[in-house]
Amino acid sequence: MVSDQLLKPATPEERRRYYREEWDVKDIPEFISNSVQKREFGFDHMGRGPNDRYKVFRSMDLLRKFLRYRAPFAAYSSVAFYEKPQRRDGWIKSELVFDVDAKDIPIRECGCQGVCEVCLNQALEIISSLIDTLKGDLGLKDIHVVYSGRGYHLRLFDESVMTMDSDVRGQIVQYLSGAELPRNEYAAEGVTYKLEHFTIPFGYPQVFTDRTRYAILHLTPETQLDEVNQKLLKDVMKNRELLEDNQWGIFRSKIGPQRYLKLIRSIASLNMALVDAKVSIDLKRILRLPSSLHSMVSMKCTEVKNIETFDPFKEAVPKFVYERKS
Amino acid sequence: MNKYSICMVNVAFINPFSDEARQIVREYGNLNTIYQENGDLIQLVTRSPSQDISDEESIPHNIMDLALKRMEWYVKKRNNLEFDYRKYSYLYNRNITNFDVIAFYLLVQAVSVKFGPNSRESRVMVEAQGKLMESRMGELLLSEKRDILGTILNTLLPREVKWTMFADLLSSRKIKLTDLVLDQGNIILDKDYFMENLGFKLEHRDPGKMYDLLIGDKIKELIINRMIMQKTEDYISEVYQKSQRQVEPNPILLELADKVTEILNQPMATYGYRGGATGKVEASPLNQEAFPPCVKIVLEGMKSGGRNDAIILFLTPFISYARLYPDVFRRNTTLRVSDVDPELAAVEKEILPLIHEAAERCTPPLFEDQPQEKVNINAKMGFGMHSEIELKHEGETTWYTPMSCEKVKLHLPSLCKPDKTCKSIGNPLSYYIHRLTDLRYEEATSEEPGEESKQESREE
Ligand SMILES: [Zn+2]
Repeated sequence: MVSDQLLKPATPEERRRYYREEWDVKDIPEFISNSVQKREFGFDHMGRGPNDRYKVFRSMDLLRKFLRYRAPFAAYSSVAFYEKPQRRDGWIKSELVFDVDAKDIPIRECGCQGVCEVCLNQALEIISSLIDTLKGDLGLKDIHVVYSGRGYHLRLFDESVMTMDSDVRGQIVQYLSGAELPRNEYAAEGVTYKLEHFTIPFGYPQVFTDRTRYAILHLTPETQLDEVNQKLLKDVMKNRELLEDNQWGIFRSKIGPQRYLKLIRSIASLNMALVDAKVSIDLKRILRLPSSLHSMVSMKCTEVKNIETFDPFKEAVPKFVYERKS
Repeated sequence: MNKYSICMVNVAFINPFSDEARQIVREYGNLNTIYQENGDLIQLVTRSPSQDISDEESIPHNIMDLALKRMEWYVKKRNNLEFDYRKYSYLYNRNITNFDVIAFYLLVQAVSVKFGPNSRESRVMVEAQGKLMESRMGELLLSEKRDILGTILNTLLPREVKWTMFADLLSSRKIKLTDLVLDQGNIILDKDYFMENLGFKLEHRDPGKMYDLLIGDKIKELIINRMIMQKTEDYISEVYQKSQRQVEPNPILLELADKVTEILNQPMATYGYRGGATGKVEASPLNQEAFPPCVKIVLEGMKSGGRNDAIILFLTPFISYARLYPDVFRRNTTLRVSDVDPELAAVEKEILPLIHEAAERCTPPLFEDQPQEKVNINAKMGFGMHSEIELKHEGETTWYTPMSCEKVKLHLPSLCKPDKTCKSIGNPLSYYIHRLTDLRYEEATSEEPGEESKQESREE
């Protein structure tokens, strides 16, 4: 119904209507409003990128007026908190952010050109598995999910990570996405033992097993993997249902140990693209402001309250889209 | 064989916060005896395996001496290529434990009362403790080491060791996040915890054996070491807080504190600013003539792409190391800027001006465009993400070492215009040292040939 009206850019008139009639300053989540004075804001007025930067607002009311009157093409705020946000100076700390963009998911079933319901759903599944690892392994709290218009942002406010530098953030990305091949040799008392990742049901090896299973189960005959030829891809797809009941040992022996190693090595490097690492390691990034309009696709950047039930096509579509004439 | 060397190692030898160590402190009597000639100590020292006793100066005669030797050991070891291990063998002798623990507490009290937690003295004290513990662990038999690690794990550590406490170890890649076994934010080190929370998940495998395989000694050692350093730091703050409420600190402690400062200042005289005769390259004012072509290009100002990286990632480490620690790649020790430049005089007057000028010469000028990048320059010298360089922030980030030629070619290819000296080196900093030596030689030979030949014979 709405879908043929969706994903079309919003006209300046629609933007104005959105910010005057539909948008409410209270839609901005508390995690922004409670720190508005410490953040840098950026705006894109013409649809040519966020070149109006170094903006600061002393109160939410000033931000409200700005958005209402300027109705920007796009609005952003920094993940960083500063003493002097107008100069990006006096850095205090930054949210830890993970960006999962639906169109950049390494293995997509839909094969669409941009973003569709299928790959957005896949992005949400990935987000949900990242949250499991963030909580279960890393013990982190205060996690918020935001629908960005083309995917999802995970935003963490756990004090213990907000002061961490880019290097550590990079390692967290690797851990979460399963981007590193776990070692398979372990030594004790001078003797070396072989242990495959799937025999260790916790810690990083388990994360790697989960991400790798997800990737293998989503492979399509069109998927391109370095080191994996058509024959191997075919064999993997033929045997992959073994992984649904965790029969990794049998799966590995069906594929053959050498080819198995090639397979997981290329999946590991593919996993690196599950989240956009550039965003996570950038302490001074600006991110789309929740509640603002993503004018390119005419959708609202929306905080996801319930990840199980969230449907962007119900909760993130601005009213003006329904009133468009087809 | 020396009878003493086979006795059991007391956990207090490694962990000064253990119950055993506290017991030693409780049983130690009068503080005034730390000054008195201590026959037992001298005997233990002189009988330590491979101890050099030829030099009377290197033998501590009382506990005060021992405390200072602990610091001297660390400072010398860190700064001297020709560090003589045999002069400090007794520090590895487990039989000195009782005296060593007292020396530890004296030092902590002295530096905290006089200088407080954010001082250079306190920081070096903490580092020295970490290094000493590491070296002592290295001397133990494997079975002893296991025992000690187990004991410390059971007592010192809370069962919950948060991985987030070790951001600096992760950042410096001493440990990798993917190498840790993590559960609910805790690094799993304790065997019981492992058995209760994770062991049951294993099928067809012996959990005890898996624990030994997965939770290696190396991780335990690193984590325990860091925990003890942290405890030392916390303890310094605690003592400092208490001392603020007292009227008069003990003069013995103040005197010890002053002597600690003297020890820390020693390397400045021999390493920091003066030329030596051993062929090592000292910190000295920059000679721009000896800069490699890539550095010269950046100093003229970047006119096209790569401006920010050229100034922040390439030029800042190069200039700061060339000025303060040109020998970094030849010596296997990490220093901080303030170890060489304690007042930050060279940083303020020589290093930053040079970097800032280069930044201004860019098109567009870096700071006009992005003033916040000044913070990144400070960060790359180890002073955290702050707009001003201040000692209290040192260590929040690491002092980045200069990029290798390979990295430059990869990330900033437009800088690489090699000349003939470049052929024999792999890092712009080595180029600088190389050229510097050549230039000095040329200078010496052209001006005072007589002086030069004398110098040569002295070096042999
Ligand atoms: Zn799609």
